[in-house]
Amino acid sequence: MVPLFPLAARLRSEPALRDEAVVLCEGNGTAAHVVAATRKARKAGIRPGFTLPQARALLPDLLTRARDAESERAAQEALLDVAGTVSPRVEDAGDGVVYLDAEGLERLFPDERDLGRALIAAAKRESLPARCGLASSKLAARVAATLPDSPVVVPAGGEAAFLAPLPLVKLDPEAEIVETLARWGLASVGDFAKLPAADVASRLGARGHALHEIARGRDPRPLVPRRPPPGFTEGMELEWPLVTLPPFLALAEGALERLERRLEAEAVGCARLDVSLTLEPEGCDTRTIELPAPTRDVKTLLTLVRLGLEGRPPGAAVTGFSLTAHPDAPRKGQLTLFGPAEISPDRLATALAKLFALLGPGRAGAPQAVDGHRPERFALVPFAPPPPPAARRAPRTGRGLLSVRVLRPAVPLEVLLEGERPASLRALASAEGGGRPALDVAGPVRVASGPWRLEEGWWQETPAFRAYWDVELSGGGLYRIFRDEPGGEWFADGVYD
Amino acid sequence: MTTAAGLSRGRFAPAYLPTGCEGLDRLLGGGLPRGALVEMSGRASSGRFSVALSALAATTETGEAAALVDPGDHFDPQGAAAAGADLSRVLWLRPRGLKMAFAAAETVLATGFALVILDLGLAHVSRRRFDDAVWLRLARRARFHDAALFVLAPYRVTGVAARIVLAADAARAGWNRACLDHWPQSLSLLDGLSARLVVEKNLEKTRDMHMKEKTSLLNLSLLEALQAGKEERKICLEKEEKEREGAGSALSAFGR
Repeated sequence: MVPLFPLAARLRSEPALRDEAVVLCEGNGTAAHVVAATRKARKAGIRPGFTLPQARALLPDLLTRARDAESERAAQEALLDVAGTVSPRVEDAGDGVVYLDAEGLERLFPDERDLGRALIAAAKRESLPARCGLASSKLAARVAATLPDSPVVVPAGGEAAFLAPLPLVKLDPEAEIVETLARWGLASVGDFAKLPAADVASRLGARGHALHEIARGRDPRPLVPRRPPPGFTEGMELEWPLVTLPPFLALAEGALERLERRLEAEAVGCARLDVSLTLEPEGCDTRTIELPAPTRDVKTLLTLVRLGLEGRPPGAAVTGFSLTAHPDAPRKGQLTLFGPAEISPDRLATALAKLFALLGPGRAGAPQAVDGHRPERFALVPFAPPPPPAARRAPRTGRGLLSVRVLRPAVPLEVLLEGERPASLRALASAEGGGRPALDVAGPVRVASGPWRLEEGWWQETPAFRAYWDVELSGGGLYRIFRDEPGGEWFADGVYD
Repeated sequence: MTTAAGLSRGRFAPAYLPTGCEGLDRLLGGGLPRGALVEMSGRASSGRFSVALSALAATTETGEAAALVDPGDHFDPQGAAAAGADLSRVLWLRPRGLKMAFAAAETVLATGFALVILDLGLAHVSRRRFDDAVWLRLARRARFHDAALFVLAPYRVTGVAARIVLAADAARAGWNRACLDHWPQSLSLLDGLSARLVVEKNLEKTRDMHMKEKTSLLNLSLLEALQAGKEERKICLEKEEKEREGAGSALSAFGR
């Protein structure tokens, strides 16, 4: 369990406040009162229940924060993840309390205190100051966790003896029962446990009977394992609305770092990131960032969030946000001694995510040959190179093939003909060239070879009927040009280079 | 700490990536040096794009991955596949503009690609549009990640950052002269292209005698598939021409 959980959750979201005098408040205006205070504030005499003016009177420099449901939810999830690292059966009791089934962990942790220490250390890595109690019943474990010198281990069968000296309030009884027991002169759990069960039941009813059973070390409540959530969520509600990107990115980076730690603990990567922004005065902006491969790289994820927000601003001030990472297993790479080294799948995934964000959709991938005749045709598929061969293959040498630079889109030309043959050409201004010719080409033709006719897609709306020529200009330059048959316009669609 | 991947790369990865062009490989002492920026400049139709695609094909044939940063969008996947490139190992990036192209090149250099080709295209590139330091940064990335960075530009742009600078000039197209003798010029066939490669700068330590050479001839022939298609077309045209001549004489005879 995490003591002062709302405060711990808030400090997890804002680690810079950890060493400051901070109080967590509930309520508005004069009704605002302190829920929890940091050590520095407590040293100044501030206690839970103080009104805000009372607290400020003691410490004028006091920092105040409101309770943040989003931070508390994320911290609770993080605590559940911590418990999930040692046991698959974990119960979410809320408010910073998590139960886990430690059955069968003896071989991993021969000493139960080691298990407790491991859990506390794991929670500390998640910026949560946790305490741990180990017992055969949920209540005994919870009470043990509240004691100093954590972790506290209650021996099996010794729950009643462990609880006996403790005050009755440790059992969280109802106020009515507390009052009755006080009238009877009972102060400790042990005194209450000594009463005959039948008499307690007849005087205090079913609730009193249940409390009596607990006081005797018999907690009938079973562990209710939670179902793992489909994603990992981090976020926070903001004290003031944000209208610019840099402060939001600073907060988002912290949330992504926390997400990264949680993903790493589960040995998974983020395959999809959902960004949800709460807008002022009301409304919500939700967007999804698809990643080409699972990654945990904070810089990459932050860049994608930034580019997404720059590309499509939310349109209103942001008062809260949540980032949900949908996990997937990261790709594995196989090293080889004699073949070429494979690119690290993790690094490749990160690079591809950056490139997709930088260049936009349809601008990065593996090229694919496409059936057809139009020279400008191409297809892009996701880049997923096959594993390298076990041994390096020797490349073919001495081929020296002449390749064509494809001009996409084709550059419009003005062509003078001698008969059917191009005699001179000049590139025309086009939108792609910004009102100027997209290709610096002009001059008389030295050699022209053609026409090589191309017909494709006559059944389509935009068929291609072209007559191709290979032309060499007197001033140098070898171009592939064509005459669009229906319109008679000339274009250059390739440069032999 | 040395990783297993590093050991593998350091011991077994060759220091040069062959370009697949014999003359150029001899000139460079084996191919494009890893960990260095090599620049090749030349006008349109000087053969530099063909050399780059040949290097791309040779690299992917060995099983390594290569990236092509192509702001001009000039890449022809069909032609590259026919030239022997393993397209599944090629990452094709089509940035809009130089700034994006440099950022993309930096990213892929840091990823572990053996060969990164940055093609600045055919258009005039104003040096005011980018900082010269970008080339030093790219060269440093290439050196740190042991990648070969091959920059293609219409003229020298990389300044002091390049370890080797090549210039392609005196390019001449080769036409099928046999055809020219017997056919109208329009039916001549493009055979290929030849250019002279000159090493303008080489900071690579001389490994053998070949490195002392400063010039080489680059001979590029048109892809066999394209050539075969045009040969077929030429035969068809020849047949049509004969038929037309025959029809013409028959008509004259009939008219008479």
